Amino acid sequence: MIQSKAIKKQYPPGDFAIWIVIYIELITFGLFFIGYAFSRRLNVDMFNNSQLLLDKNSGFIDTLLLLTSSYFIVKAIQNIKDKTLTIKKANEIASKWLFSAIGFGSIFLINKLLEFSNLFEHGITLSTNTFFMFYLLLTMFHFMHVCLGIVILIAIFKQTKLYSYTSNECSGLETGASYWHLIDLLWIVLFSLVYIIR
Amino acid sequence: MKRTVDVIWINLLLLSLASFLIGKFELSNISIFIILLISIFIKGELVIDYFMGLKDVDWRYRSIPILWLVIILLLIFIAYYLPEQS
Repeated sequence: MIQSKAIKKQYPPGDFAIWIVIYIELITFGLFFIGYAFSRRLNVDMFNNSQLLLDKNSGFIDTLLLLTSSYFIVKAIQNIKDKTLTIKKANEIASKWLFSAIGFGSIFLINKLLEFSNLFEHGITLSTNTFFMFYLLLTMFHFMHVCLGIVILIAIFKQTKLYSYTSNECSGLETGASYWHLIDLLWIVLFSLVYIIR
Repeated sequence: MKRTVDVIWINLLLLSLASFLIGKFELSNISIFIILLISIFIKGELVIDYFMGLKDVDWRYRSIPILWLVIILLLIFIAYYLPEQS
C-alpha cells in the first residue's frame, strides 16, 4: 500500500524529560525577551544608542558558530541512524561531527568572553543602564546554557567513542542534541532582538 | 533528507547574513522591522522542524515551540510599534 503521508511520531526525539526542560527554558527566555522589548519603550533613544556599542560582527560570528554546530549535530544523528553503516563506522563518523560541534561551541564561548571583557574594559556593567542590564543578563544566562550544552556534548562524544549508539538506540544522543538546538533557537531570537532590531 | 539538512543550514546562514547586513547598515523602519521579524520566524521554524526534528512529530509537541515563537514575535512587534504611534 502506498502511503501518501509520513506517519507522525507520537513523541519528540530523545528523552521526554528534556522536552519539559526545553519548554520551561522557552518560557523563561521568552519572559526576558518580552521584558527587554517593553522596557525599551520607556527609553528608546538610550536603547538605540547603547545598542551601537555592541559588536555586531562578533554577534554575527556567534550566530554562524551556533547554527553550524547545530548542523554538525544533525549530521552526527543522521550517520548514527544510517542503517547502511556498521555500528562502529556510524559512531566513528558521528564522533567527528560531534567533535566539530564541540569545537564550534567552544569558539562561541571564547568569542563571547572576549566580547564581555571588551565591554567591562569600557566600564560597562549590569548597572550602566537598562539596556546593558538586559544585554548582560540575557547573554550571560545564554552563555551558561552553552557551557552546560558543551558538557552534555562531551558526554555524548565519549559514548560515540565507545560505539554506544545504534540506529535504534540513540535516545541519549537525541536528548543532548535537542538541548543544543534549544540553545541555537534562543540565540536566533536573542541576536536579532538585541544586536539588530532598532 | 540528508541533502535537505544541508540546504536548511545554508538557508539559515543566508538569512542570518541578511539580518546582519540590515543591522550593519543600521536600517530601521517599519518594513525592515517586519522583514526582520519574519526572518526570525523562518529561522526559528527551520530549527524547530528540521534540527529539533519536530516536523514529523505529533502536532501537540511541535506546536508549543512554534506558538512560543509567534507569541514572542507578536509581543516584540507590539512593544516596538506602539511607541511610534504616540
